[in-house]
Amino acid sequence: MLRLLSLVCLMAVTMWGGVPTVVAADPSKPVPVPMPAPVAGVDPVDHDVDTFNPNVYSLDESGHGPKHVTRSPFTDPASDIARQVTSVTWFSSLVFLPFLVLPLLLLLYVIFKFRDTGDGRKPATFTGNHTLEIVWTVIPCVALVVVSFPTWFILDHMEAPPVHQKDRMAVRVTGKKFAWDYKYLGIYKDAKAEEKQEIAVGQFLGIQEPLVLAKGRAVELHMTSDDVNHAWWIPPFGVKKDCIKGRDTYAWFTPDTIGFFKGQCAELCGDGHGLMIITAVVVEKPDFARFIALQRVKDDTLKVWTAIQPPPGTAIDDKVLREAVAGFLAKGRSPERQYALRFWIACNYATLQRVPPPTGVTIAEIFGAAKGGGAAEIAAAIRTRRAMVDALLKELGAVASADASTEVAPISVVALPVIAPSVVVTVATGAQP
Amino acid sequence: MTAAAVMPPIPITRYSGVMDWLTTVDHKKIGLMYFWFTVTMGIVGGFFAGAIRVQLATPGAVIESIQAAHLAGVELPFNLFSENRALFNQMVTMHASVMIFFTIIPGFIAFANYVVPLMVGARDMAFPKMNAFGFWLLIPAAMLMLSSFFVQGGAASSGWTAYPPLSLEGAGSNPGQDMWIMGVHLAGVSSILAAINFIVTIASLKAPEMKWRDLPLFVWATFFTSIIQLTATPVLAAAVTMILLDRNFGTTFTIASSGGDPVLYQHIFWFYSHPAVYIMILPGFGAISHIFAAFSCKRVFGYLSMVLAVGAITLLGFTVWAHHMFSVGMSPELAYYFQVASLLIGVPTGIKVFNWLATMWGGTIRFTTAMMFACGFICLFVLGGFGGLILALVAVDFTLTDTYFVVGHFHMVLVGGSVMLLFAMTYYWWPKMTGHMLSEKLGKWVFWLMFIGVFVTFFAMHLSGANGMVRRVPVYFADFKFSNYLTTFGYLLTIVSSLLFYADLFLSYRRPKITVDDPWKINDVQQSFEWATSCPPPVYNFVTVPPIPVLDQMSDGHAVRDKTLGDGDKPRETDKPTH
Repeated sequence: MLRLLSLVCLMAVTMWGGVPTVVAADPSKPVPVPMPAPVAGVDPVDHDVDTFNPNVYSLDESGHGPKHVTRSPFTDPASDIARQVTSVTWFSSLVFLPFLVLPLLLLLYVIFKFRDTGDGRKPATFTGNHTLEIVWTVIPCVALVVVSFPTWFILDHMEAPPVHQKDRMAVRVTGKKFAWDYKYLGIYKDAKAEEKQEIAVGQFLGIQEPLVLAKGRAVELHMTSDDVNHAWWIPPFGVKKDCIKGRDTYAWFTPDTIGFFKGQCAELCGDGHGLMIITAVVVEKPDFARFIALQRVKDDTLKVWTAIQPPPGTAIDDKVLREAVAGFLAKGRSPERQYALRFWIACNYATLQRVPPPTGVTIAEIFGAAKGGGAAEIAAAIRTRRAMVDALLKELGAVASADASTEVAPISVVALPVIAPSVVVTVATGAQP
Repeated sequence: MTAAAVMPPIPITRYSGVMDWLTTVDHKKIGLMYFWFTVTMGIVGGFFAGAIRVQLATPGAVIESIQAAHLAGVELPFNLFSENRALFNQMVTMHASVMIFFTIIPGFIAFANYVVPLMVGARDMAFPKMNAFGFWLLIPAAMLMLSSFFVQGGAASSGWTAYPPLSLEGAGSNPGQDMWIMGVHLAGVSSILAAINFIVTIASLKAPEMKWRDLPLFVWATFFTSIIQLTATPVLAAAVTMILLDRNFGTTFTIASSGGDPVLYQHIFWFYSHPAVYIMILPGFGAISHIFAAFSCKRVFGYLSMVLAVGAITLLGFTVWAHHMFSVGMSPELAYYFQVASLLIGVPTGIKVFNWLATMWGGTIRFTTAMMFACGFICLFVLGGFGGLILALVAVDFTLTDTYFVVGHFHMVLVGGSVMLLFAMTYYWWPKMTGHMLSEKLGKWVFWLMFIGVFVTFFAMHLSGANGMVRRVPVYFADFKFSNYLTTFGYLLTIVSSLLFYADLFLSYRRPKITVDDPWKINDVQQSFEWATSCPPPVYNFVTVPPIPVLDQMSDGHAVRDKTLGDGDKPRETDKPTH
């Protein structure tokens, strides 16, 4: 009943066309990046790593893993679109149910009532009944009309750009064999640099990084492919579109549940089709702003990462590491930047621990631990290395912390320009496959 | 019969034994060869399905287990396709191709070949040699597809839909996909030849007194099916030819970077392949009407609306193709049109289901194996159709397309529908085709195992899909473990049932030949030519048009139209024996 009501409400809203206007955030008023709230006994860095960096290796063998893993599109919808799709599915199923149940009941009745019992009963001789035939032609037609209205409104709602959503962003999704590249478009702008800064998320150490979304913020997905057809689908979000080279397909939804989401590529794309895994994380908006801020400094941290994690069999060169950290701080030494460096080191280690080691090398060897070193030993090695970076940051970063805020402009949130869904836009003109 | 004295059969020297089968143009022998070809290919396709089901029931299919084993550096105990995931895709492709092109479509052609000329009172098909040619084309077609497993790079692995750009991969180095395309071409030519033959046979060789409104429903259904085959199959040939040209001759029909469009292929492909699903079920719709009427001791309810419904399905079938590809992105108005048209097909289909129930209503029903398969068909087909109604809704389809819900849906209507129909038709017409009865006792086992097996297998697939499992994957998340094990269990039931069925087919030849024309004792209701001749019918079927009354299909009265076909001993002018 509630679902029916919500459906009627949705129809009413859509027909009334009551669309709130887009409220643009003022770019001149930067929104400060929120740091994670301190939790007693937990390094906020570890908290953020847990939040932003779960991947499919985090799942245990019963399918559980990071908090709130949801899976089923119809029992655990996690976006507004999915909820509407669920309600229209239930509604249509109810309308169609008589056409499933009635023939089955009639069949059972006929089977038991009219079986030949050998009592010499003469079979009936009628061969038609126009009234009956008209009835069972017209009633299904009526059912189709009943179902047609809500399905149209929902379809129209799904396919039109969400201009009625105050808060929204756009992501370019590119499928490639057998991973996903995401590019955040159109919402975050560097206040200092005028040009739009796009943030790309892809793979690290061969593992798919999750698409991070903000709860309550509509996300428009513009999908395409680098090679063969793929399809992006996370079941609880209720949208699926093919990613086709040379085309730009479009879908949008507003995630409304915090958690970790998983899916598989839904269009046959070759040998790795089944393991072309899609992961997404939905976080609160402040966390999302922090995630974007962290992404901005990711490239700067790579030098430090290569210094602290040299190739297997090589020892850490203290001088190189010190230079890398100093180089990182030379570009800016605000607390946000220092936090970002600590985050990325921790984040990369979290991934490294979850990735199968390259062939011929054990994970213990990667950390220079004794052969056959256990998990505890590896964890200790990681702790030591993170501590080395922390110590260097403390030593080198404290020098000029006074002028930190002037060096790097805080990050601001800018309203998104409307990106029209272009169904048949040719985007790629690359080499022939 | 006195007719034999009037016009003795023309003596023709014939081969005997194997050479007779290789050179025959007799529609009955060709029908039987189609049947055994279908059975053989069913075993091959079933084997591929088994390989898929075994993979999906092993620990190596659960992603979480694979990851855990990866991290621990251990091997999973039994993992069919871990080393060669391409082989899994080849299995998926070939399972579909074999089942569609070589099992279900020729399966119905087998019965149509055998029964349609008998039903219309003809001596053979209109073009007997073309008929034989059509059958013999299927052999190289099947050989081409199946032997491609042994070429470099293996068989085609882009699914039976062969979507580009995936199907363009390996051009020049892996001929498997090209062999698949050639196989489809040959099977298509065979299909077109059969369609022309049926249309001409029905239109011009039906008994002189037999009018269109007198045609038995199976003949009507075959007629409409042939129209679909004739008009849609060339479109499939066009679609796969684009792939062939793009792969080998430098054209760019489907290559986006050179101005082509991969979605063009999908539209053209589904323009054939949606009507093709009706090729795979409409003849069975016609046949099942006879079975219901025969074993209820009644006449078909609503003959005219049955014919019109098949006609409507034929027409509408051509207007709904894009519901297979809503997710490629099309304007909502266009998608909505395809939704409404797809739902509309439910109306004539519903008419047929209700008419079948009304045919049984008030009868004295004998539950022979054929009748049980027919009732089982209604049950499973209605279930499968319900899933189809849900899938037709675009908004819901965005979630469900390319999941196991779709797989469950079309298997429920193809196996629960078409294959159950083929079983029913086999049990019904086998005595007529071979002169041997199939075992009713064994038949009950075949039916119940098949019915339960099909239901469990494909209902569990619906569950997997509704929970979010995508199709054509060799691995899945741990959430779907239970429903996949259930599916594999159901598959085992259907396999046991099929083995019993094959055993029954072979055993039937050891039973004594039946001597009556009408072993089911149904022809006082059926009034059709095929039960008015011996089992199996003689070469050239009828010397004269047999003296049985034509059923006035549309009268609701008690008597048949006061007309007897044939004068008993006057030879037909139109009918010359051909060789």
